[in-house]
Amino acid sequence: MSGQKKLWWTLLAMAMILSFSTATASAQGGGTLIGGFDVGPGGLPQTVPWVQTAGNTWLSKIWSPLVSYNEDVSGLAPQLAVAWEANEDNTIWTFTLREGVVWHDGEPFTAKDVKFTFDFVLSPGSTFSGPPQAAALTILGARAYNAGEAAELAGVRVVDDLTVEFELEAPNPRFPFKLVDSYILPAHAVNFAPSEIATTDWWFTNPVGTGPFMHEEFVRDQFWAVVPNPNYWNGAPRLDRLINRYFEDETAAILALEAGEIHFTYASGDVALQLGEKGYTLHQGPSGVTNYFIFNYRNPVFQDVRVRQAFLYAIDRQAIAEVILGGTAQVVPCLGAFPNMWPAEYNDYAYNPDLARQLLAEAGWQQTEPIELVTYYSSQFHMDAMAAQQQYLADVGINVVPRVDADGYNAYFYTGEGWQISYRGLGNNPGNYPFQFYETGGYPNAVGDTGTLMGQSFPELDALIAAARQEADPDRYTELLQEICAFQNENAIEAYMWTALRFGVASTDLVDFYWFPAPGGGPYEDHPELWAVAE
Amino acid sequence: MFKYLIRRIVVSIPVLISVTIIIFALIELAPGDVADNFINPEIGYSAETLEAIRERFGLGQPAPVRYLKWLGNAVQGDFGLTYVSGEPVLAAIGRRLGNTLLLMSTALLVGTIIGVSLGVFTALRQYSFWDLALTTLSFVGISMPAFITGILGMYLFAIEWKIFPSGGMRPVQRDPTVWDTLHHLILPAGILSLAYIATFMRYTRFSMLEVLHTDYVRTARGKGLRERVVIWRHTLPNALLPVITVIGLSLPSLVVGAVFIETIFSWPGMGTMYLDAVNSKDVPLIMGMNTVIAIVVLTANLLTDLAYGMIDPRIRYD
Repeated sequence: MSGQKKLWWTLLAMAMILSFSTATASAQGGGTLIGGFDVGPGGLPQTVPWVQTAGNTWLSKIWSPLVSYNEDVSGLAPQLAVAWEANEDNTIWTFTLREGVVWHDGEPFTAKDVKFTFDFVLSPGSTFSGPPQAAALTILGARAYNAGEAAELAGVRVVDDLTVEFELEAPNPRFPFKLVDSYILPAHAVNFAPSEIATTDWWFTNPVGTGPFMHEEFVRDQFWAVVPNPNYWNGAPRLDRLINRYFEDETAAILALEAGEIHFTYASGDVALQLGEKGYTLHQGPSGVTNYFIFNYRNPVFQDVRVRQAFLYAIDRQAIAEVILGGTAQVVPCLGAFPNMWPAEYNDYAYNPDLARQLLAEAGWQQTEPIELVTYYSSQFHMDAMAAQQQYLADVGINVVPRVDADGYNAYFYTGEGWQISYRGLGNNPGNYPFQFYETGGYPNAVGDTGTLMGQSFPELDALIAAARQEADPDRYTELLQEICAFQNENAIEAYMWTALRFGVASTDLVDFYWFPAPGGGPYEDHPELWAVAE
Repeated sequence: MFKYLIRRIVVSIPVLISVTIIIFALIELAPGDVADNFINPEIGYSAETLEAIRERFGLGQPAPVRYLKWLGNAVQGDFGLTYVSGEPVLAAIGRRLGNTLLLMSTALLVGTIIGVSLGVFTALRQYSFWDLALTTLSFVGISMPAFITGILGMYLFAIEWKIFPSGGMRPVQRDPTVWDTLHHLILPAGILSLAYIATFMRYTRFSMLEVLHTDYVRTARGKGLRERVVIWRHTLPNALLPVITVIGLSLPSLVVGAVFIETIFSWPGMGTMYLDAVNSKDVPLIMGMNTVIAIVVLTANLLTDLAYGMIDPRIRYD
């Protein structure tokens, strides 16, 4: 072989080796996935654990709780805990922790970290807040310890390295559901005071978690980049990098998606359907938020069940859901947003304006002035729905005028004054039902009214709620939720409308990507270790 | 001049304090409780939670006491911590201020240079094709709101032609270079400058035409001065006085920002921060931002007045 030929063969061989090694590298690397993970109602940019009210889709990429929701929020999935069980009266919960879990810095995760986390966040002067706070405060001795009246937190005990016990102030058969957004912190790496939870830079500069990704770079107001955790207990993620870009609003994120700069974002129903027609992949699911009219029972006119039922018969909810809301909402019979919370039989209040007029006449309905329909919603979705509701109600002689007041909204309910009817939403799922809104005394307000949110007591509902709160058997608990639904439906204690579908929109090059519109962003089982971007 | 400067600064202090009192009062009078903004109505809350929030943010004291406390700290340079992110207010403002200054000063500079140049150009060619064409375009520029030009610009340059990024201040996949910053800046700043160009062009054209028809310009021409000297030495400096007023009035926008453009271009500036602060009733941040903005407005007015004296020697301050 001549020298020239040898050179050619050598170059060819080198080229083949290089191309092979490149192909191998790209087949193993999952690419960089950029998303607007904090866009939409489940997101909360730049929030941190233990003060978060949303944003869990992103937080769960770095930190892990003991348990999370499963993939469709219908139950629980193991995270740092692999098993959990309660004693007979549901006052002591024992969690068995996952073996072999290590923190991002290589230190082993043990039960001491769990104990440390609750000791830390419940310390006197701690600035933790939000849903994780509500759960932690139900632990035995938590309030006394938090108030500085006890030397230690009695209710969290380390049994051994892989077992931790929670003793509660009161029985709670669904306590693990309350822990889904309680992220566990590393005892050896937290270097700030409990009073700095909301303000420390630790979360953004050198955080240590047990989640699938490790912190790489955070640029305030712009993005947060993370890289795979090679020691993640469910296998190292395929992606090379995961980036959460911050957007001021949904429109900016959609434009970035269309410009090919991000792979994923939340989108409201109408926009998502248009993007679906353009070929984007839609991820959808029930929002878990039921929209309904709540009546202020302090006005005696709304204490007549016939009036409340007339509101339901007067509005063609199915037509609004299908036509105006473009099929992105499902009509519900009660507050329950999921069908397994509904009884086998219920009144569907099918559109019947004549019956609505008859019920109003029987109830002696006489309206002299328009009734404000106050809401905090300002999206086109809800504005369109309210315009239609207004027309339907006008047709039977009920004159309502929608008014958006996001600023004053909570105050109306806190004082019980300044509102007659409200169009609002309330999140719920089988594991987390807002019993306090319906339980007498469950919603004490500023004026000393110890009724419910709407200012009325329902003893029969109170009994059902008390039973559900205590019920440990999942089947019987579901039955009780259905009985609560039946009561709400029959008595039309509120005028239940629909639960909206929520959408995420992804580019078609994402592989094994999963997203679900869990309230507050979950966290839920989404297996980010499997995600990849196709070349 | 020095006395005038001191007098103006002294007069500004009660104005500044009045502004803070008015803003504080307006926040107090707005419907709803500050604590309510930490509650998601879809999740619910209890009276106990509200009390804890009030205590955490020191909302239990009467409004005048809270205001005086704020003022006492503010004069020492301590504007408190933001309610939402918990960072010092001045740090939050400082972080966003640089971004807004970059965006708005680029837009204002481009707008001033092109707008004034086109104003002179069209005034010297009154009723020509160029005058009519550019005047028409300037009306379009003035009339078209930022949400139209912004979306249109974004659609054409970022989505369709992919010449510029759709938003952000830097690429997220690598460390930014100066070119990266410019690349991200051109589209939002260019769109913002359109309104400035149109406005400054209209003012300059009108003012130039007015001065061009004055006796002293006619006299200058009658004396046989070259046209270039008549325009640049006798006409333009006098025509610029009202234009400087308009530019001076635009100076506060350098720190106020542009809410819509910042929003759709995900430009983390003062405009979007202000909007977020108001939406979340972040009182320390609202107060801090308003104080900074008030100081800038007062300073801009002072600088504008001083600039008159530099342009027009007839103006004296003593």
